[in-house]
Amino acid sequence: MAHQRVPSLKDTETMLSSLGPKVFNACLVIGLIGLAAALGLGLAEGDNLRHFGFSYLVNFAFFLSISLGALFFLAIMFITKASWNVVIRRLAEVIAAIMPLLGLLAIPVILLAGQIYGWAQPDARTSHAMAHKAAFLSKDAFIIRWAIYFAIWSAYGLFYWRTSVKQDGSGDVALTRRLENYSGHALVVCSLATSLAAMDLLMSIDFLWFSTIFGVYYWTGGFVTFFAVLTLITLGLQSTGRLTKIVSMEHYHDYGKLMFGFTFFWGYIAFSQYMLYWYANIPEETAWYMLRSENGWGWVALAVLFGTFLAPFCGLLSVQAKRNLGMMAFWAAWIIVAQWVNLYWVVMPEFSHSFTISIMDLAAFFGVGGIWLAGITRLAMGTSLVPLKDPRLEESLRFENV
Amino acid sequence: MKADAETLYGMIVEFEDVPLLMTAVSKCRDFGFTKWDVHTPFPLHGMDRAMGIKPTRLPYLVLGGGLMGLAAGTAMQLWMNAIDYPLNISGKPLFGIPANIPVMFELTVLVSALTVFFGMWSMNGLPRLYHPLFKSRRFRRATQDRFFIVIEAVDPKFELEETRKFLASLGGNVIEEVTENPED
Repeated sequence: MAHQRVPSLKDTETMLSSLGPKVFNACLVIGLIGLAAALGLGLAEGDNLRHFGFSYLVNFAFFLSISLGALFFLAIMFITKASWNVVIRRLAEVIAAIMPLLGLLAIPVILLAGQIYGWAQPDARTSHAMAHKAAFLSKDAFIIRWAIYFAIWSAYGLFYWRTSVKQDGSGDVALTRRLENYSGHALVVCSLATSLAAMDLLMSIDFLWFSTIFGVYYWTGGFVTFFAVLTLITLGLQSTGRLTKIVSMEHYHDYGKLMFGFTFFWGYIAFSQYMLYWYANIPEETAWYMLRSENGWGWVALAVLFGTFLAPFCGLLSVQAKRNLGMMAFWAAWIIVAQWVNLYWVVMPEFSHSFTISIMDLAAFFGVGGIWLAGITRLAMGTSLVPLKDPRLEESLRFENV
Repeated sequence: MKADAETLYGMIVEFEDVPLLMTAVSKCRDFGFTKWDVHTPFPLHGMDRAMGIKPTRLPYLVLGGGLMGLAAGTAMQLWMNAIDYPLNISGKPLFGIPANIPVMFELTVLVSALTVFFGMWSMNGLPRLYHPLFKSRRFRRATQDRFFIVIEAVDPKFELEETRKFLASLGGNVIEEVTENPED
């Protein structure tokens, strides 16, 4: 408001300080226990870690998608020279800069590829369709591609974080210009890497099935989950007295708009994929959906339809919901759960043709998630939670939706 | 310009800077005017609150329009494809939801968009080709470098002398009366 004082960074706490080590230790302990428990349960099943591999894959893909969402968020914010996001941008920067750790977390997926992916099975070689894909879908090519994906994501993720932290000291506007200029090729290169990675990570479990929109399907889910996570992290930090006053209802309103918009976009993408296969009705294409709509998975498919799309769409439609912190927290948590169920539904029917869920999935969730969040907290501990000398900080502080 | 009490449209007061304007606007709001407006060369944050403008009811109209479009899209396809002229296309159900969703979606969007556009027009009293304020030469600067508060004569709280005194107390530059009839 024009005659209201604009908040400044002095009005609030912008360091994690004593909270940092507490959260870091708690997340690390939860993560290690979760991973150990999941691995123990997996070994106990005596299936050469096949179930564990699928369970781990769901959760790895889930947390990777959130960090990818953060990376794309940064690139889009810089290339559009947006200012509203500056007060919360450091949070996105640490979530994106955690890519090298996610690279380490990818190792179990690569080691267990033989258990998870259809193309790695001995009988795949006899398939005629496989003969044309063999060069791409081979273990060596798979490993090389993952090395390239993570080299790309890590380079950009660390670039955004390091450059922004550097600006905390110098306040050099040229750094902002460089961040903006690099965001052009960042978007092109990361889009290609993410689209191919989605095919490698999730689509190639069934090497006969293909969908050209699958990369967008995976990316959109991660993007909307990222905003949900960002909402909860911001609310959490504010409840401890950090970032209060400087992050206002106006910023939450924008979180809400983005969550709403990409909830719809996800529905649009998911339906486009479904409708084309439904209408063409070609057996090799519909097989993917048939598997996911029978033997109990059909109920999960309905849960995905209502949970990831229709319910949050109706819930976040009104402006009052987006400017109500209770509603925002509720829908953010809802979207996180729903997007996890979506990935579970994409991955798990390939493991078991009839519906299954186990405590191992939960253990792997806390395992990967705990380590992921511990890494993010560790990165956030060293610096301010707000870019201190960003040239657009002032604009972000006085940001208002008209 | 000469003021005629019978054809008086309203009274305008000119401001040069934003803080003074905002304070004056808040005072007008607190005074209880209902038929009044503020004209500025560019959008001002916080103006809605300063004027005490309630959130628009347009979204509810649009929701209604969208639901009507959805219903129309559904009913149209149900009637045409499944009842009036059933046509079996490659063994698909006569009324198959996945195939019908694109049309349902497009009609939802179309009717919503038309409701936004024409709803905004009708709520703002548009289209309107003439406005009494056009007569005031001074008011033309509302699109350049001056801010104006306009109190309409039809406002229940409007009384020529009282309102003039009130507006004078706001600290604006010049108070001017604007008449209704177009001829000079």
